[in-house]
Amino acid sequence: MTMRYIIRMRGERLAPVLAGLAVLLAACGTGGNGGTTLTSGSTIVFGAAVSLTGAQSKEGGLTKQGYDLWLDWINQRGGIVINNVKHPVEIKYEDDQSNPNLSATLVQKLITDEKSQFILGPYGSAASATDAIIAEKNGIPMVEANGAAQAIFSHGYKYTFAVLSPANKYLTGVLDMAATLNPKPITIAMLTANDNFSIEVGKAVEDYAPSKGMQVVFSKQYPAAAPDVSGLISQAKQANPDIVMNSGHLAEAIAINKAAKQLGLNAKIFAYSVGPSTPDFISALGADANYVVDGSQWTPQVKYTPSFYLSVGDYVKAYEQKYNSSEPPDYHVAESTGACLAFEKAIENAGSLDAAKVRDALASLNVMTFFGQIKFDSRGINTFKPMVVEQIQNGVHYTVFPADVANGKPQYPTPPWSSR
Amino acid sequence: MSQFTQQVILGLLLGGVYVAVALGFSLVWGILNIVNLAHGALVIVGSYITWDLFTRLHIDPFLSLPVDAVALFVIGYALQRSVINRLIRAPLLFTFLLTFGINLVIVSLLLLIFTGDFRSVTPSYSGSGLQLGSITIPYIRLGGLAVALVLAGILWAILNRTRIGAAILAVGADRDAAQLVGVDLRHIYALTFGFGAAFAGVAGGIISTFQSITPTAGDPYTLQAFAVVILGGLGRVSATVVGGLAFGLIEVLGQSAPGLGAGYANAIAFVVLVLVLVVRPRGLLGRLA
Repeated sequence: MTMRYIIRMRGERLAPVLAGLAVLLAACGTGGNGGTTLTSGSTIVFGAAVSLTGAQSKEGGLTKQGYDLWLDWINQRGGIVINNVKHPVEIKYEDDQSNPNLSATLVQKLITDEKSQFILGPYGSAASATDAIIAEKNGIPMVEANGAAQAIFSHGYKYTFAVLSPANKYLTGVLDMAATLNPKPITIAMLTANDNFSIEVGKAVEDYAPSKGMQVVFSKQYPAAAPDVSGLISQAKQANPDIVMNSGHLAEAIAINKAAKQLGLNAKIFAYSVGPSTPDFISALGADANYVVDGSQWTPQVKYTPSFYLSVGDYVKAYEQKYNSSEPPDYHVAESTGACLAFEKAIENAGSLDAAKVRDALASLNVMTFFGQIKFDSRGINTFKPMVVEQIQNGVHYTVFPADVANGKPQYPTPPWSSR
Repeated sequence: MSQFTQQVILGLLLGGVYVAVALGFSLVWGILNIVNLAHGALVIVGSYITWDLFTRLHIDPFLSLPVDAVALFVIGYALQRSVINRLIRAPLLFTFLLTFGINLVIVSLLLLIFTGDFRSVTPSYSGSGLQLGSITIPYIRLGGLAVALVLAGILWAILNRTRIGAAILAVGADRDAAQLVGVDLRHIYALTFGFGAAFAGVAGGIISTFQSITPTAGDPYTLQAFAVVILGGLGRVSATVVGGLAFGLIEVLGQSAPGLGAGYANAIAFVVLVLVLVVRPRGLLGRLA
């Protein structure tokens, strides 16, 4: 500022030269503006115990990618701004080896030994549940992005928040979509794997369907990872449902889709909770994967208008560049970045690094990000962000619902197998 | 009633798969006295061969079954001749450990080669079937059952109509006596294991058409093969056929248990298995030891 003032004083005589200088300075000014006005503060330390080895190393790795993507971005800008002071950010990682109990031990270590001021969640509902206990005990805020079971939040914890939509929303979005279609589908056949998460998803559908004027006419559980479901499918066929729903896993979704074709079970909508969003589903089933819908936390096609951080398009680009990937980021990556954004905004709003103040700021947070709205209910669950509905159309994923964030229209009804 | 008939047919079709899986397992157990814990992994090797030929060369899954058989026969023969033969007279626990280890090695190799992605073979005719009133019989599943029965016939013919079969049966009955009359034990052992692996490979080819395969997808099939052999009884091809069909039938009918009962379809099948053992310890058709 002083420099510019001096230049302006002498400007009358040196006008031509100074015009050039001014342009130069202006250019510098936009690039380094923040750096010159704000001083740099202490480093903020985040801790995260994610699965880098073991059965969930794939998902744990995606979680870390989401955190690191934000870490690069925030540190490029100098850090999180608190009362005009920029605080650079560090994330300390521990590997929980896909073991929820180890995860809790490591979070305690991150807090006491490594002086983490805030905790970013692990991968999975089980680890999130054990880590939440530690966060609560130490009064350290934790924002998690990969534990959808509502049970985590049934203990009245004050320090744990989740940015993702809870398990009970996984398939209800499909019902919301179905209610807008013509002719409206009425009857639902529900096939549910007998694990806790799948049962929670399935029960939510049964509770929600009547409010949309729909009816679950067939509901059966099957053993998780059952290789053959033809008996169930032939029973479901007798009920002649408009919607076939599966709350289960990728392997079963593939088996159900195959059996439906083999036994000629025709429905207007096929919706599976887990599976269709993966590339494996399309490569395993080929053209038979078309028309299948699923609920997803996020897709690279959603059209949210964020109030800060990157737009959806820029986020996808940043990911592909940093990880040298030809595939867009998966929703695990996006929701993990979402957790970081919740912290960033809450710390800014709190104007402090005090754990209790940041906790309160999280509780009253309400922001729109590339991942969708982040706002927590009294339990700490983000019940405000909708699940989006994806559909596979000609071997490509399209986001088809809600209409305001979609990049495609639902193809409806699904033609019978015989005329595909 | 037609719904019940449909369930019975689906049960028999699934049973066909179990027959195919269990034939080789039963042969190896009966003759070599090895409970082959790597059997499921060998099944999945067959699945991957069928998948590979289908995706890369567009070869129909049923046409690739002979390829599965030959490839797995070679693998099985080599495995027995080079590794398992060394432990053939060791206590059962050692062969358990060895075949468990082989299972891990095969699964890890499959992970390295094919990654953990889910694969499946979906030929164009996979949706067509025989329509009898309200009953549907998918051709692809019917083909699987037919292949299983042909396999059983081939195994029966090998054992009862060929010199090699006679040698195999002789080794199974009394290996020392067989050696005394001039049977090359190591060759017969390896042949037996090779046949067992070949049947596993064909079963794998069938499996790839109705479920998704991953390197670890074979593990449940080892257990199912075990259950089928226990249920049917050891030492007869016909016992494996009856055991396999019965097990498939029980599983599918278990899926139509009312309400939440279907979630226990596997448990129901194993309870029936235990009951059979209590009433008839040698299995449905097993010979008295």
